Amino acid sequence: MKKLILLLSFLFITSGLQAVAAEVPLMSIDELKTQIGSDSLVILDVRSGRDWSSSEFKIQGAIRAPGSKIGQWSKDYKKDQAIVLYCA
Amino acid sequence: MKYSALLSFALGAGWLLSPESLVIAGNSAGNMGWFTLPVLAVVAILLGSTGKLLQHSQLPDHAGREFKILTGLTGTIPAVTLILVSCIPLTVLAATALLVTSGYTFNEVFLYWFPNFGFSFLLLGLLTVLQFFPDKIVFKVQIGLVSIVVLGLSFLALSGIAAGEKPVIETLQQPANISSTASAILILLFAGSTLTTNSSRPFLIPVAGFIIFCLWISASLLYVNPERLASSTIPYMTAARKIMGDPGRQIMGVVVISGTCAALTSLLILCRRMLGNCIQTEDGKALLSVKKQRWLFPPLVAVATGILMARGLAGDELLEILLRGALILWLLYHSLLCLSALFMLKKQTGIIPLGGAVSTAFLLAALVILSINDPHRTEILLFILAMLGTGGLMATLWFFINKQTATKTVTQQMEKIV
Repeated sequence: MKKLILLLSFLFITSGLQAVAAEVPLMSIDELKTQIGSDSLVILDVRSGRDWSSSEFKIQGAIRAPGSKIGQWSKDYKKDQAIVLYCA
Repeated sequence: MKYSALLSFALGAGWLLSPESLVIAGNSAGNMGWFTLPVLAVVAILLGSTGKLLQHSQLPDHAGREFKILTGLTGTIPAVTLILVSCIPLTVLAATALLVTSGYTFNEVFLYWFPNFGFSFLLLGLLTVLQFFPDKIVFKVQIGLVSIVVLGLSFLALSGIAAGEKPVIETLQQPANISSTASAILILLFAGSTLTTNSSRPFLIPVAGFIIFCLWISASLLYVNPERLASSTIPYMTAARKIMGDPGRQIMGVVVISGTCAALTSLLILCRRMLGNCIQTEDGKALLSVKKQRWLFPPLVAVATGILMARGLAGDELLEILLRGALILWLLYHSLLCLSALFMLKKQTGIIPLGGAVSTAFLLAALVILSINDPHRTEILLFILAMLGTGGLMATLWFFINKQTATKTVTQQMEKIV
């Protein structure tokens, strides 16, 4: 868990929004730790298949949201929410 | 233990000791609780009985026996098709799945900075190169890998069982019970162990597998909540961590990587033997010698696996579906092989061995249960049909090319005589 590299990459998954991907900030593990439990924070695990199932490192409370199905789950979240996505 | 028995076990138990089997065992333990042990015992007896059936003295006793037995029921082209589809898809898909799992394990347990994908490809390359070494060396490496897995699992399990204080395990909300699907899935633990029936010890792998998994399942159930075991995608790592903490993870890491190498080496060798069985018959001799096949098959499997990994199949749920389809194809092959043996014995002796008949009936029932109850049965059915179609096409092509080559050879020999 400690070694997880968290990536805030919600926007760059969609090709249409790639232009603004550079503006998406990264969050450190310590930063995330301080925010876990907050109502406004949503943690999404964007891994799928074996990338997800073979990994031992899964953040507790993270919601599975495979990157390939972004069109389905992106509508479920508000834009003003802090959305943390991780893929490793 | 005699070297030949050790070698038979090492070659046949590759898949049995792979991380995939550990997942099957862990999930089954979660679903059925302590009932898993008697069910596993029954499965071991069934598999041992089918092995004994295929060793019957009245059945063909020479190289290519499986092919000959199968031909008796299905004919040449379907027999070649079944052999092709039972081993090649399983080897390629299992290689993809296992190598990715090992990559993650190496990255997360041992070296964080080493890319998991890099490790998967490195392992694939090393295992492919290993296939070109003389059999003597390959067999010794295989025995070493299997020994590491058996020792690692047994050490973890016995340490857990013997430990004085055990964590308090929450009880299941729903009591564990025996389900037909969960029971049938346990048969898949032994996939590959029966890909070859050359072993004269049909109960060796089922009994050894039962003992090893008995220990591991018992330790897992003592330490991990069954609900967690049932839903976990890596129940082996969860149990190892609970039993021994970080050292437990590291031991399990070694077990997973060694198990992957053992499974792939075993599947590659057994596939080569199965294809060799077809080749050694009169129909196949002309096209591809066993020696040539050795230089062709492992690199082809490595390229196919590499392409699947590079194209991201590991990150797709489809891999799990296809792997289940490949395992069902193995079960289809093994069930039909046993059925052919029963028909052959009935024809030759007028008697059907009861144990073999009952075991075959259970295998066929398991085949139906696994195919029908799978949530992705449509995709699996399509995959099976696609594989059978492709395999059939390849078998037909093989058959006709051989026939032409064989005719040419006979004509040339006739000309020489004349």
